[in-house]
Formats: sequence, structure tokens, C-alpha cells
Amino acid sequence: MSTVMEPTAPTAGARVRTVPNRVQEHAERDPSRVCMREKRYGLWQDITWADYWDQVTLVGHALVSLGVEPGDRVAVHSENRPEWLYADVGINAVRAITMGLYPTNPAAEVAYLLQDSGTKILIAEDQEQVDKALEVEADCPDLQIIVYLEPRGVRTYEHPKLMSWDDFLERGRIHREDDPGMVERMAASAESDDVATLIYTSGTTGSPKGAMLTQGNIDFALKTLISEGGFYNPPAGPDDVILSYLPLCHVAERAATTWTNAEAAVTIHFAESIETVQANLKEVQPTLFFAVPRIWEKMQAGIYIKMNAASPLKKLVYKAAMGLADRIGDDMVANGGNHTAKTRVLYAIGYPFLFRALRDRVGLRKVRAAGSGAAPIAPEVLKFFFGIGVPIYEIYGMTENCAIATTNRPGRVKLGTVGEPQPGIDLKIDEETGEICTRHPGVFAGYWNKPDKTVETMDDEGFLRTGDVGEWVDGTHIKIVDRIKDIIITAGGKNISPSEIENSLKTSPFVKEAVVIGDKKPYLVALIGIELDTVGDWAQRRKLPYTTYRDLAEKPEVLEMIQRVVKETNDKFARAENVRKFRMMPKELDHEDGEMTATQKVKRSALHDIFGDLVDDMYGNTKLFAGGDQASVHVRAVPVGDEDEAPAERLGEAPAADGEATPADASAATSPELLPDAEERDAATEAAQNDAEDRA
Amino acid sequence: MTEQNTKTITPKANRATLRGRPELYTEYARDQALLNTASKKLWTGVLVAFTLLLPFLLGRDLVGLLTLVFIYAIGGIGLNLVTGYAGQVSLGHAFFVGLGAYTSMFFGGAPSMTLRGLELDMLIWLPMAGIVPMLVGLLVAPLAARVRGLYLAILTLGLVFVGEHLFREARTITGGPQVGRRGAIPEVLGFNFYENQEILGFALRREQIFYFFCFALLVVMGVLARNLARSRMGRAFAAVRDRDIAAEVMGVPLLRTKVIAFGVSSFYAGIAGGLLPVAVGAINPERFNLLFSVEFLAIILIGGVATISGSIIGAAFIVLLPRLVQVTAPYLPLIGEVVSVEIAQRMLFGALIVVFLVLEPRGIYGMWLRMRNYWKAWPFSY
Repeated sequence: MSTVMEPTAPTAGARVRTVPNRVQEHAERDPSRVCMREKRYGLWQDITWADYWDQVTLVGHALVSLGVEPGDRVAVHSENRPEWLYADVGINAVRAITMGLYPTNPAAEVAYLLQDSGTKILIAEDQEQVDKALEVEADCPDLQIIVYLEPRGVRTYEHPKLMSWDDFLERGRIHREDDPGMVERMAASAESDDVATLIYTSGTTGSPKGAMLTQGNIDFALKTLISEGGFYNPPAGPDDVILSYLPLCHVAERAATTWTNAEAAVTIHFAESIETVQANLKEVQPTLFFAVPRIWEKMQAGIYIKMNAASPLKKLVYKAAMGLADRIGDDMVANGGNHTAKTRVLYAIGYPFLFRALRDRVGLRKVRAAGSGAAPIAPEVLKFFFGIGVPIYEIYGMTENCAIATTNRPGRVKLGTVGEPQPGIDLKIDEETGEICTRHPGVFAGYWNKPDKTVETMDDEGFLRTGDVGEWVDGTHIKIVDRIKDIIITAGGKNISPSEIENSLKTSPFVKEAVVIGDKKPYLVALIGIELDTVGDWAQRRKLPYTTYRDLAEKPEVLEMIQRVVKETNDKFARAENVRKFRMMPKELDHEDGEMTATQKVKRSALHDIFGDLVDDMYGNTKLFAGGDQASVHVRAVPVGDEDEAPAERLGEAPAADGEATPADASAATSPELLPDAEERDAATEAAQNDAEDRA
Repeated sequence: MTEQNTKTITPKANRATLRGRPELYTEYARDQALLNTASKKLWTGVLVAFTLLLPFLLGRDLVGLLTLVFIYAIGGIGLNLVTGYAGQVSLGHAFFVGLGAYTSMFFGGAPSMTLRGLELDMLIWLPMAGIVPMLVGLLVAPLAARVRGLYLAILTLGLVFVGEHLFREARTITGGPQVGRRGAIPEVLGFNFYENQEILGFALRREQIFYFFCFALLVVMGVLARNLARSRMGRAFAAVRDRDIAAEVMGVPLLRTKVIAFGVSSFYAGIAGGLLPVAVGAINPERFNLLFSVEFLAIILIGGVATISGSIIGAAFIVLLPRLVQVTAPYLPLIGEVVSVEIAQRMLFGALIVVFLVLEPRGIYGMWLRMRNYWKAWPFSY
């Protein structure tokens, strides 16, 4: 430990304290302390620092014995589990490069990633991932060995490149006996410009690019994000407990799990699977919790569904306490996330009745700092969690800058912004394009094998172009407008950020996906995907029978409900930003079908291809896909807005926007003439509406 | 995967990472603990402390009544094992209790001109009071295992009649009808549990001492029964109860399971029988009739089928109910004028069984469970 130099800035070839070094230090200092737990046979099994380092050295020796040289790529294709960390740190310990794959990556993407990175050894979790690899193995000339963790189903495979994890470690053990201390020596010789990992961008627009993060980048990230509280604030420490469940090949989860553990010695608990996160959360009760907006939204929706099914007294208490939570949320938001005397009193009143139990049920009772990132989150969601006593700090960063850009700090939160720049970095907003640019030692070394793309991303002064348009709020905080490529310029010439509208739509627990379209078009339209759980629950309560996702999504009653959601969102935005028409997506978006990335981000270009007919339908003034009954085909589409408020000509985009309201007698929910457009409420739907409001 | 780790060191968990996380099980012992949560530990402690304090707060007759509750509870647990857990309806419980009572009197009672008694120590007669009925139970069980449902009920009903006749005729042991006999002497190595004693400077009445003794026995036997119920054998009981054919297909030996259930149940009945005459002073052979069996059935139905705590709650209910009716009778109309207190008791008794069977088949314990789950899920409902 004392031999380790304290690097200041990662200059080329400089000695740097890496993640393997840190793990080794922990193992020497506290060998018997538990650093992670994995649930097996119904028990959370302890894994100590000594176990951790022992496995890491075995992996390192095994890799070297298989001919892995510094700089070679070794891929890990697995759910989160201790072996992911053993492999990652072991790979880095012998100065090779870790490349992570999403467990959901289909075979075609696996092939692309293995080829592009030139992976030599693949560590695959189970039969599913081994099958993918074997399917494409012929196209990956560099791939020499496939190591599998779970022998179930794979045991009988006879393929020359297959090797079990046990055999792999056994090789390492033999090699270690022959050459003890080799891994330690190699780990000690790591340099700051060693590439530690390739993190592939999700590829919303093109094929994924592998961002090279060096040991120097990671060292800077460890200090900025973890020790100095850039990620969790106050900074993480050995008493903290975390749950690891997001894909480890993403920079955010790598930071939240591997790096936080190595730097701050928090105890990691691995979720059994993504489906059991809710149950595992309740068991583990983490003190630090990082989630992507989708998880937070889902949590909120889960509370909503369960409260709908609760007994009358419980509903009453919930309603009363959430009234308090609303006021607490409002006050805290107005106060930079700080408690005031009033919110403290309100919180103390609500705590015994609801907040404590509610937080316990969802597994957030002990959370002292929570983060949200990787995608924009709706302020309403943040406010909800602030209200029940879980402060979520939105953090902003990207793979290319090691997730270091801005963060909201306790007491200085501004909702709707991603916070203030992290200390010690240069951040500027390009005056022409409004693009956010960052410069600091965490900025990546470039894209793997794509120097042209690297050049595009870096400007002359060494700033990284993030591709996000941002603006300063009060001179201290940054607000993200949108991805530069996603900004919609309507035919009327107005710049519109679709994500803001989409997020507002997604605050409804019924809406899972919303894609706003309108580039070079006269008005905005949206494709909406429902949240099957909540809408299914809603339909069941109203005794609406349904069969499939599509059947449910196209029910007239559902259309009507979604229409109200759209209307509510429209009320919040300027007229030009109103969604005039929408269509339901007939299927759930899926990674495997190429509609989403592994990180559940919608691939807009792909959607245009897949649902082009829906979009054309909306702009073509037809109603082929308007849902409801086929009779609706013949109903004339009427784009509607709040015709009485703003003069239509000023908008210059909605044809016949004035006075062409729907027939006032458009009858009840079952009417085949239902227009799934954003429209005025009419008397016929009022009753149903009131009903829905009661539930809300 | 990691089994092959060279775990030469025992892992030391940071206590802060476990504190306040009752569901984060890192060892089976904690997962399986009877008192697996802090609040359960606390409230069980409070309950035990309160029970130990009660004899100093209540009068002699009430202390005696509570002692009776403990004894009935032991018998109730026995019936719950065979009827609640293993699903074998037994109307013959009174017979086994009686057998236990007379075994204890034979081994532990004082002899006289007409009565036989060996005056042995309680260390001998109390186990014998359990073992003899158990052996008889094991003898009867293979017959009982051949039938089920109504036929089993009738078969066990026969036991009661056989027993009544035997007890009436074996005058040298039972004292004969209308005469009866005093209970065995509860003396262990010279220490009499039914005599006023001075312990550590405290003058304790005999009711109090016997109360503590019976309570301790109940706790031990209750925990044993609970552990039996959640062991391999207990699961076999439940399998047989829920579907005997399916159980057999799964490899649960039907005959053996039923025989063990009867044996254990009879042992519990016998122990209750051995203590009962001591607590009530003297006992007539007529006591061990069909109504007595029904009382035990009522204990488990009202308390809660297939629960140990339910048996105890049910015993308290059945034993204390007459007293309650007695106390409240003067304030209630009709009772004492139209119907006697005793008849009113019986009517209430019958009504309660009907009400529980229809409205709350899981008994008082089921009501408690429902209440607990209501709060446990707060603010959700599931």
C-alpha cells in the first residue's frame, strides 16, 4: 500500500492505483471482512475480501496461462454475480481489457461486439449465453475460449472452445503454484493509460461504439464520484449496503457496484435477477440506491397498483399521508431539497402512519442517498420520492466521460436540472449548438478501432462533445434539453425537445413508452405504449376483458384513458408543443426485436421503420390504426387543440384547428366513433373520468 | 461455484450491514428460528413474564383455574397433532387422557385398603402416564389407519365407551363410579409440587408452585410439538392430512405416519391426564366420557386447527368460559331463571363451535393471523 504512488493527473505511462490494487489492499487489511453477499439456496452467502482477491488472482493466473497478454480483450456476458467482479478485476489485474455484454444482447449483437472488440476469451454465464456465442463463434476469428459459469445444460456440449469455470480456475490454481505472485506483480505495474475496459455505447442511432476507459479515467472517477461524493453524498463508507442489479457492463452500474465497493468498501448484495429486484430490495434494505428512471417509475406504479387494491382504511390513510407528502415534496423542492421546519413536522406526522411502512415495503427504508441517471426522469417522480422521505439526486454523465459531468448535491437540488458540474472538471455549453462539453482526466481515450468517431466527439481544446443540448439554470445548474439528434424542428420552425413531453406523458402510471414525433411536420404526434401491469389492473377493476397486449392497448376505454393523459400533458405545455394525435403501439418494445437498446432506450430510427404506417396514418388524416372498431376508419380525423385560447394562425401548423371540434354527442366508451386524438372533454366521458379520478 | 474457496477464515460481517434487516438471512438458524423477529422475541418475553407474575396477582381459585388451562392445553396440543396436523379426527381423546390419569394414580398414588398404588416418584409416574397411553395408542393406531373420516370418528368413539366401562369396573385403580380417587402425589426427590413451600425465602402456596410446574411443562411440550410439526415428520402429517393418496405417492409411509401421530398424541393426552387429578384434587371415572372428548375438539376448533398457540388459546377459552358465564350470569336476563347457568354454558359452548366452524375455521388464532397480516402488509393489502 505504501508503495503505491498517489497519482495527480493521469499522464501517459504514470503509475496509477487501480481497482485491482484497491481490492488487494482491502484483502490485506481486512481479509475476513464481508465485502459482498450472493443469495444461494435461500441464504445470503458471505464473501470476504480474502475470497474476493483469491478468486481474482485465480482468474488472472488462468488468463495468463491461456495466453492472454496485456491489452487483450476478455468479454463477460452474465447477469450480476460475484463472478462478474472476479472476472472484471482479474482481467484488469493482468492488464487485459474487460468488455461487458448485456445479458439481453441477442446473438447478432453478440457477434458484432465480439468481432468489433476482437475478444479472445468470453466468460458466459449459462446455457443461454453459451448458445448465443456458439451460434456466432464461426464469425469471430479472435475468440479462442468460451468459459461458462453455470454447467447446467452445457455439461454435455462438446465443443473444443468450451471450458467450465471450475476448470478455468483450476488452471489458474496450477499456474499460481508455478508462479506465485505473478498477478500481484502485474497488478502493481499497471499504468494510467492502460485501457481497463471497453464500454459499448447503447447505439440508439447507429451501431454501438466501444468507449475505451483507461485506468487513469477510472482512478479519477473513483475519487470524484465515490470519495468526494459525486455519486452518493455524503460519500459511501464501509457501513453502507448496496444492491447490484443493473447491467454491470454499463458505466453507471460499474461505478455503483464494482468501483464503489473497491473504493469505499460498501457491502454489495447481488439481486437474484431483474425480476426479483423488488423482493431483494425489501430483504437487503440498501442504504445507497441507484436506479434508472424506469425503475423509479415502476416503483411508483407498483405503489399505485397495490394501493388501489388496499382496504378502505388503508386507502384513506394513504390519501391523507400522501397529501402531506405532496406538501413536503413541494416545500423541499422549493428549498433545494432541504428540509424546512414545516416539512420536518409534516414528515414526523406522516412517518408512523405511512412513510416508514411504505418505505419498508418497497425496500427504501434505510436509503440515505439515492441516485437517478442514465436517462431523464420526470420531476413529478422525484417529488413523489422526496415526499415520502427518499431524496433522489439526479446525476448526469456518460460513458465517454466516465459518468462524470454534473450532479445534484444535497441541499442544492434543483428539480428539472441534472445539477451542478462535478468539482474539478471543466464544463462548458457550446454557444452555437448549446451542446454540453466536458474536459477532465476522466474523459475517455477514444472509441475502439474508430478514430474517426473519436475525432468527431472531441473538440480542439480537448473537450468532449456529449451530444446533449443543455442550458444553464441560475448560472449554477445544468438543464438537459435533449439529445442533439432528437430535437424536433417542426415545419413551423419551432425547436421542440421531445423528451420533456415524453417524460411528462410517462409520469402517468399507465404509460410505459411515449415517443413524440414531428420533425419537419406541421404538428406533433405520439406513439404510446401502455404499461401492461397497471393498465391490466385497471381493466380488471372495470371488468374489461382482454387477451393480449395489443387487444388491451386498442380497447376504446384504454384509448380514452390515454387520451386524458395526453390532454393533461398538453395542458402543461405551450400550444406548439401539444401532441395532436396519438396511436397505440401494438406491441411491447423489446431489445430482441431491435426496437430498444439493451438499456431500454427507444431506437427512434427503428421505430420509424417499424411503426411507419402508424405515423403516416396520423399525418395522412386517416384513421386506419386509430383503434376501437373498424368503423372508425371512416371517421374523419380532426386535429384538435384548445381552440378558444390561442389563435390558430399564430401556430401556423394545425390545419383546420379552429372550430372543428369532435361531435359533441360522441357517445360513451364503447362508441365506435371514438376519436383517439387529444380533444376536449365531452359530457359523455365525464362520468368515466370522475371514476378514474377517484382512483387516482 | 465458489465452494472450492479456501475458506480458512470465518467471515466477519460488518454489523451495520445486518442491523435492522430482519429478512436478510445469512444463516439458516436465523431463518428457521421460532422467534425470528425482534418483536416476536419481545412480545413472547413480555407474555412469559406476565404469566409468571399472574399467580401473585390472582386469588387461589383463579390460579388453580389457570393451571387447569395449562393442563388442558397440553391435552389440546396432543389432539391438534393427530387431528389438526395429521387430519385424523379422533373422538377418543378422553380415553387416552383417562388412561394417563389412572396410570399416574397406579404408579404414583397412595395405596389404601381398596386401592392399589405404588407411591413412586413423579420422575417415574409422570413419564409412565404418557408412555402407557402412547403404547395403547400405538396398538390402536394400525386399526385406525385403515379407515378415515367418519369411520375413524366412530372407531375412536368406540374407544371412549370401552374406556368408560373399563374405568368404571377397575375399582382397585380408579376408585369406581361416584367415588373416584385422588391424584398421584407430585413429588420429585422429596420435593412436593403440590404443597406449600418456602423457596429462596419466598413463601409460595401449593397452587402457585403447581402453576409454575405446569406452565414449565406446557412450554417444553409446546416447543417440542412445534418443532415436530415443522420437521420432516410434521410435513408428513400435513401431507397425509391434505391428501393421503398423494402423500403415499410422494413416498410418505401412510401407516407409519398415522401410527406416529396417534402415538405422540396419546402421549400428550396421557401427560395431561396425569396432571389433571392433581390439579382438581380427585376425579371420577365418569369424567372421561364423550363430552370430555368433545371439549378437546372444541379447544382445537375454537383455538385454531393445526396451530400450537391456538391449542393454548382454545384451552384458555374452554376452561375459563364457564367461569365467565358464572360471573356474568347475574347481570344477564334469562340465565338462572329460564335456563340454569350450566345449561347456558352448554348452549354457548355449542353455539361457539358452530359459529367458529362456519365463520372462522382457523379459530381464534386465525383471527389473530388475519389481524397481524393486516398490519404486516400496511399500507398495502397484499
